Amino acid sequence: MSSIVDTLLSGQLLFAALVTGSLYALVALGLNLVYGTLRMLNVAHGDVVMLGAYGAYWAFSVGGISPIVAAPAVAALGALAGLAVHRGLVRRLFATAGAGSTRLEGNSLLLFFGLSIILQNAAALAFTPNARGLAYWTEVYHLGNVAMTGNRIAALVIAGATCIAVAALLGRSLLGLSMRAVIEKREAATIVGIDVDRVQAISFALGFATAALAGALVSMLEQISPFTGFPFTIAAFIVIILGGLGNLFAGLGAALLLGALETYGVALTSANMRSVLLYGAFVAALLLFPKGLFARRARAA
Amino acid sequence: MSAVPVPAPATRAWAVAGLLGAAALAALPFFANPYLVATGLTLLMWLALTQSWCLLSKLTGYVSLGHVVFYGLGAYLVVVTWQSWPLPLAIAAAGALAALFAALIGLPVLRVRGPYFVILTFGIAELVKYSILAAEAASGTASRILFGAPDLIVIYFAMFALAAAATLLLVVVGRSRFGHGLRSLRENEEAAETLGVPVVRYKLLAFVLSAAIPGMVGAVMALRSTYFVVGQVFDPMISVTAIAMALLGGGDDTRGPILGTLFLFIVSEVLWIRAPLAYMLILGAVLAGFVLVAPGGILGLLDSRRARGASGA
Amino acid sequence: MTTTLRRRELLLAAIAASTTGAYAQADAPVRIGFSMARTGIMAVATPPQQTTYDLWREQVNAAGGLDVGGKKRRVEFVSYDDQSKPEQAVRIYEKLITDDKVDLLLAPWGTPFHIAIAPVLEKYKFPVVGNTAASVALRQIKPGYLWFPTSAIPDRIGVELTAMMKAANVKSAAIVSNVLPFSKEIKNYLEPELKKAGIELKHTSEYPPDVKDMTATLTQVKQANVDAVIALAYPGDAILYAKQAKELGLTAPFQFIAIGPTAAFFAKAVGASSAEGVVTIAHWTPRPDWKGSQAFYDAYSKKYGEAPDYLDAALPWMSLEILQSAVARAGLDKEKIREIISKDTFETINGKVRFEGVQNVITPTAFVQMQKGKLQLVWPKSIATGAYEPKKGW
Repeated sequence: MSSIVDTLLSGQLLFAALVTGSLYALVALGLNLVYGTLRMLNVAHGDVVMLGAYGAYWAFSVGGISPIVAAPAVAALGALAGLAVHRGLVRRLFATAGAGSTRLEGNSLLLFFGLSIILQNAAALAFTPNARGLAYWTEVYHLGNVAMTGNRIAALVIAGATCIAVAALLGRSLLGLSMRAVIEKREAATIVGIDVDRVQAISFALGFATAALAGALVSMLEQISPFTGFPFTIAAFIVIILGGLGNLFAGLGAALLLGALETYGVALTSANMRSVLLYGAFVAALLLFPKGLFARRARAA
Repeated sequence: MSAVPVPAPATRAWAVAGLLGAAALAALPFFANPYLVATGLTLLMWLALTQSWCLLSKLTGYVSLGHVVFYGLGAYLVVVTWQSWPLPLAIAAAGALAALFAALIGLPVLRVRGPYFVILTFGIAELVKYSILAAEAASGTASRILFGAPDLIVIYFAMFALAAAATLLLVVVGRSRFGHGLRSLRENEEAAETLGVPVVRYKLLAFVLSAAIPGMVGAVMALRSTYFVVGQVFDPMISVTAIAMALLGGGDDTRGPILGTLFLFIVSEVLWIRAPLAYMLILGAVLAGFVLVAPGGILGLLDSRRARGASGA
Repeated sequence: MTTTLRRRELLLAAIAASTTGAYAQADAPVRIGFSMARTGIMAVATPPQQTTYDLWREQVNAAGGLDVGGKKRRVEFVSYDDQSKPEQAVRIYEKLITDDKVDLLLAPWGTPFHIAIAPVLEKYKFPVVGNTAASVALRQIKPGYLWFPTSAIPDRIGVELTAMMKAANVKSAAIVSNVLPFSKEIKNYLEPELKKAGIELKHTSEYPPDVKDMTATLTQVKQANVDAVIALAYPGDAILYAKQAKELGLTAPFQFIAIGPTAAFFAKAVGASSAEGVVTIAHWTPRPDWKGSQAFYDAYSKKYGEAPDYLDAALPWMSLEILQSAVARAGLDKEKIREIISKDTFETINGKVRFEGVQNVITPTAFVQMQKGKLQLVWPKSIATGAYEPKKGW
């Protein structure tokens, strides 16, 4: 058994932590965008990841297209789906329940739960519940004594780049500024002339797009089936709650933290402790910091 | 709530309907085949769970997404004391265990608010689940088999008692000063506190009360399957289904959860028999559609219909 | 596919309209019920059993129907989704027996579900031939109405696997195990056997079913530098294990994965070179002296476009053959069926099967290995179709 210091300094574990963390970050990013701008808990988020994975799988099995090449297309389809859901369901929900009410959160939970059931079972009917997996870019590369499978490097790079790109979008562009304004204080944003509805639609689209993209990446790494979306939803929720709802940058940090906790925690204890550590840390963190680890100043209702 | 003054709900009519329903359920095992009795058992289970959930979440506004943790703890206790403790003792102890757990974690947990509370309760349920899984694995236990469980009829009446207790509890609390205090802290916790409502004590009490019955429900339901699976008794879908039933019903007294439970239960039962392939799809559509069409739940629909009648609009 | 009330009407109409006189329209169909997880976490594992049941029904009906005590009757399925919940399976079987009043029953998928319905079968005295269940706990079931043809019982696996490793000159081993009941049971029996045989266990660890990354565990396994790596995995984590074993370069010559490689899907998901040389649990393979085994393999491959799962498709087929044989002689008399199943020796695609109590005492506990893309029986020698070869990397 290697010593604790050896474990912590291990390049192999660092690679694993980064791959896990970057995927968490990508999935959580979309969820956070939707929550930030709409205050809705999209419990169907993981199912969008699942659909993205299937998209990449079919592109590979039927068309021989690599998941990496298919990823942008899958993301674009995700964006379209997001726009459709926003227009069809979310606008309707706002109209009937009222934009600022607490009832909205409860009802949005139910609405997206219904959507989640529909997505999972439609996928099961269309694709059969059989597990699917593909083998792509399975060559192993070595950097020092760290072994890295090509598809995992690709996942890390693409997920990381996307997160950075979205962060840049939020930080620099006018659209990004509008989104942050809506996240901070929706009423004030309306007053300064921001088209809140448009910003929300774009957030939704971007949220679904990043989820679908994550799905395409995941298709290279794990087996997929219609019911494998839920764990991603859970992981995303933990990340965004830890970082503070609507706080996108903190969310990225929380994701990497979680990836590290998982990898190193398991290495130091045992694989069986993985979820105990994860949820234990999560519960402890929330009890100590009821508004998230990186809580910002007061956000709008 | 509607802006037009609405005449008070016809309480007597509801009470009579409720008693008739209870009588029908009590008589069921004597004239129906075992499959229907099992169906009735499932209905009673959801009635008990949903009303217990409402006791906390509808009255205080603290939406718990982890209520299954009490159910699971109760089930686990029965399994662990199988064949060594008499069942009635195990079931009562299950309720006590759940209440004790709620009492222990209540104070720190109830300091967390809003959607953070929602996900926190989910996290707690999962934490308990995985801790038990790890403990079972560490002890070398591969599986737990429960042969020799009591007959369906016995289980049925045990659940009937629990459902009746949950209903009674919600009615009594809803009308008491305690219940009004809970509602006031739901509307504005800080204001309620300044007005002298013992907010912390009330929240904790509601939390503990809402835990006991689910603990016993889990204990009783564990008797239905010879093969015990930890993941099943801590299944998050149990929490979500209870919430769905409560939200579909609307309101914050017993009528809502009962109506919502009946509605969702009947829809699910009809669907899984008649449309074995598509029933989940249709169920999802029903849930989503309902939210868009009737955000106040069934009670909301009934109230607005009555309001329209009263104002002549 | 399952049939609902409506489909039965359509089917009858279609048959009435058919011009071939082979179908006896006057006879009511024989209704056979079962539950199958179509949603939920087990739904990924059940398709091989469902497809096998469907293939059987097709073949039987194409031959004029099921022979029920001398008379042929068309087979019709009545099935429901148990949503991966054993307690739901209990409800479904209660419904099938007391409400739908089916003529015969088939087993659901998986050990928890077989055990969950055992008391129901006992109560209503309804015999069912089990299939996809394997646990020492099965022996606790009072023999009477449920039987298990599989030989993959964990305590036997512990003994036989150790024997196979000894024969392959294995001196040291590592075990990584899923904590789900089947793998955990195997681990509990394997460890003392290894000790008895003098094989050094240099590493043993467990992981949860929802594991997402095994890097830490496998790094330790690699460092242990053993002759044999025993991965007691289920299909989902088997894929993850194989991919990460490849990444880290686990070079042990004896590589065992408990469940997963018997499905055609495994090789597709991890790549042919990774699947090559993996040893796994199965006691069936098409063999000339096992009547019908090649025919089953071919019919399944033709209809579904891929090879049948050597465990989860072969076992259901065996259970159907046994039921078919009993019903041909006993008709629908449940006590007679029960007697025949308890006492007789049956010819199946897996050779002879006979039950003592609930267990099959003829089929040996066996292992297969992926060789050149096909699974060959490599242990025990008595039924082997190929010789064990060490795995040459991933």
